[in-house]
Amino acid sequence: MRTRAILGSILASTSVLIVGYQAGVSVTTSDGTSLSLPVDAATNGTAGGTNAGTDATTDSSTGSTSSSTPGSDTAAAAPTTAGPADGTYTGSSVSTRFGNVQVAVTIASGSITDVTALQLTDEDGRSVQISNRAAPILRSEVLSSQSAQVSNVSGATYTTDAYLSSLQSALDQAGA
Amino acid sequence: MRRAFATMGTMASIELPAAWASEVSEVQRIFRMIDDRYSLYSPDSELSLIAAGHTSLSHASPPLLASYARALEWRSATGGNFSPHRPDGTIDLNGIVKAEAIEHAGEHLIAVGCPEWSINVGGDILVSPTGAATPATASASPLGPRVMRAGIAEPLSPTELLCSLELRHPRRAIATSGSAQRGDHIWRAGSTEPISFVQVSVVANDIVTADVLATAIVAGGQTALDDVTDRWDVDVITVDRAGAMSATPGLLHSLATK
Amino acid sequence: MSTQVRPRAATARPRTALAAVATAPDYRRNFARRARLSDLLVVALWASGAAAAALFLASGGVDQFTSVAETVTSIGIVSGLVGTDFILVMLVLAARIPLIDRTIGHDRAIAVHRSLGKPALYLLLAHGALLLTGYGLSSGINPIAEIGPMLSLPDMPLAFIALGLMIAVVVSSLIAVRRRFSYEGWHLVHLLSYVSVAFALPHQLSVGGVLADGTLQRVYWIALYVVALGSIVTFRFAEPLVSSLRHRMRVAAVTEIAPGVSTIQLAGNDLRGLEASGGQFFIWRFWTPRTWWHSHPISLSAMPTASSARITVRNLGKGSAQLTTIPVGTRVSIEGPYGLFSDAARTSPKLAIIAAGIGVTPVRALLEQASFAPGEATILLRASTAEETYHWDEIRAIAAAKGATCYSMIGHRPRGVDSWMTAADYERGVTLQSAFPDLADSDVFLCGPTAWLDLIEADVHSSGIRPQQIHAERFDW
Repeated sequence: MRTRAILGSILASTSVLIVGYQAGVSVTTSDGTSLSLPVDAATNGTAGGTNAGTDATTDSSTGSTSSSTPGSDTAAAAPTTAGPADGTYTGSSVSTRFGNVQVAVTIASGSITDVTALQLTDEDGRSVQISNRAAPILRSEVLSSQSAQVSNVSGATYTTDAYLSSLQSALDQAGA
Repeated sequence: MRRAFATMGTMASIELPAAWASEVSEVQRIFRMIDDRYSLYSPDSELSLIAAGHTSLSHASPPLLASYARALEWRSATGGNFSPHRPDGTIDLNGIVKAEAIEHAGEHLIAVGCPEWSINVGGDILVSPTGAATPATASASPLGPRVMRAGIAEPLSPTELLCSLELRHPRRAIATSGSAQRGDHIWRAGSTEPISFVQVSVVANDIVTADVLATAIVAGGQTALDDVTDRWDVDVITVDRAGAMSATPGLLHSLATK
Repeated sequence: MSTQVRPRAATARPRTALAAVATAPDYRRNFARRARLSDLLVVALWASGAAAAALFLASGGVDQFTSVAETVTSIGIVSGLVGTDFILVMLVLAARIPLIDRTIGHDRAIAVHRSLGKPALYLLLAHGALLLTGYGLSSGINPIAEIGPMLSLPDMPLAFIALGLMIAVVVSSLIAVRRRFSYEGWHLVHLLSYVSVAFALPHQLSVGGVLADGTLQRVYWIALYVVALGSIVTFRFAEPLVSSLRHRMRVAAVTEIAPGVSTIQLAGNDLRGLEASGGQFFIWRFWTPRTWWHSHPISLSAMPTASSARITVRNLGKGSAQLTTIPVGTRVSIEGPYGLFSDAARTSPKLAIIAAGIGVTPVRALLEQASFAPGEATILLRASTAEETYHWDEIRAIAAAKGATCYSMIGHRPRGVDSWMTAADYERGVTLQSAFPDLADSDVFLCGPTAWLDLIEADVHSSGIRPQQIHAERFDW
């Protein structure tokens, strides 16, 4: 019985530690991993639609297994290419660092014509765009800021000399 | 209250509640210690001795090796857009040690329980996390931690602000890199293209990421910008040679509110 | 062979339960269940320590091993977390939680509690030393000089005091020191452990940040503190208070049954509702001006009836001497029942009971309640002199009524030899096996003074029966 307790303790403690370690590691690497959006279950349109990037043979097999679904005319519409049928496919909701994401993919003639984000919210519940790409903004979009409203100024590294003529220097003198 | 002092070839400003004024000297000491190790300006620093060939890298101190290793990891992660080597091969850890120093100073302030602070070293800013400690000072708002608003300098006229944005947990760090002031600050890996951005600011959860990625985007241009915004959870504001701005969507909200 | 005492027909036969013989409980399955629970408790103990470390790693600790200073600091943090975890587990073990008492018994819970004391203190000392070293390394000063800046942090002076108190608590408990300490002194110092836990808490929140909002760490530590302090409050204070108020016990009679040994008859309400098993003990507090501040763990010497209970005390020292002169009518508060020296610990159908001196008291109650078929129980009563045969008449009467065999052995132990028997029996070649031929199928209940019990326990162990068949209670008062 003691052996069982010892083995159990070792097993439990080790697995608890491994889980903790893994959790810690995955927290730290999440910055470096790329965002992938598995778009699996097709709830809208014909069955058999999968992520547009997947292998054509897989698509063909899933398409054929579900060909009994009413309204499915995969074979007739695309007898040779065996790609996903035309229509709009809705992916399942996926939790990402941008919040919950759900996308709809529109496919026409075997190619993706549109990707729509159906559900995108950030932590505060605000909806956000799926892409984090920087987009041009006009200077007029940015409210003019006055130095009194900020407590610090970020700028390209300045030398001690350059600092003397910078806004930060003024802020520092005002707050000293 | 605020204290400014010279360190690492630039100026540092620390803002913290008056009750914690004594911590400034501690922060100063952290900076001085790191500067003593990494400065290439001082011939006696450990890094200078290595650069001059007096000390072998294999005999370097563990902290220096750790910083070097971290910098090399960032080099791989950014496809060489960030590099701890000068074009002539000299190790130059300037690109990372300042941020590391800020990081250490921030950790120290958190460790001692200082409730509300900001550290600005040469334009790279880290602010305290929300709820880091029970605010013990009268200056703390009863409604919770104050939102720290940071300005970004106009690249070519440092006395003006380009814009301002909120720094709040977890987005606690902003770093700005540019070709405007210290022209030789950023080493570009084999690129002959003219620099497309004169100034890049990166807002991130930690200061090292912000600093390294800002450097990498200035060095790598538009490709690096797209790559960084795809792969890292950061926000970016750029200013190109013509003075036109771009920003990631996450920032629009912050930029548009006072 | 040993001296066989023919069971006499009892003149004043105590009320004994004979009903239990009908269906024997499944001892094997009961034991397997207790063993499983007990193993689970051990696993939970170690896993909780691991969880403390794992939660640190999970909440960003993994990254904090990149430099020497950081590594030292991180190891320091982990040792502090695990040490605190152990302290809280110790509180749980000392809280007399019924589940733990029924599973491993109060004695073993306290033994585990005791064995955790030193490791926990070492972890906390390492916590302090490593953090001073780690912070010292990162700011380039020696660990001793780091104490100054550390003390200037909020809540840290309290944390240093907490560590000092914990050192005092553990050191005062280490047996060598404890012998030089009075029980009251030790107990008083031990109460400081609550103060220490309370003083250490603020720095865990502010400097340590283990309760940062929205982290799993927060959930874990709050839960652990609630369980530890909650079970102390519930089972050491609230439950005994409620039980004492409900049963309203008073001293009904104090009778000297032998020189220096008295029975204390207690009267109260619904004493069967205490659900005490024969062989279990209560912690008693007698509310007279001289005795209220001292509590006594004493076994029942008879099964309680609805309105009465009985304990037997020996005038051994200052504390128990006062008990023999306690006035009738004194109010009594109780904590309990505790202990696994009862039928609940049975693993085998047969019973072998050996008791010496005042150690017969729990055995008297145990025998009264134990379930066995006639011929399945054997009792050996042991005393140095004929005066020390407390309650032997009662035990013989119960044995006769329930069909148990009862032996007795009166006389001093042989000189120069380690034997639990009398010199005469030892020379005649009496052995454990000759007195208890069915030992292998029996639960062996041993109760008596520590020195004697060590001897007989060793003898029983060497007979080759499984450890779970042996139930020993050291009984010095």
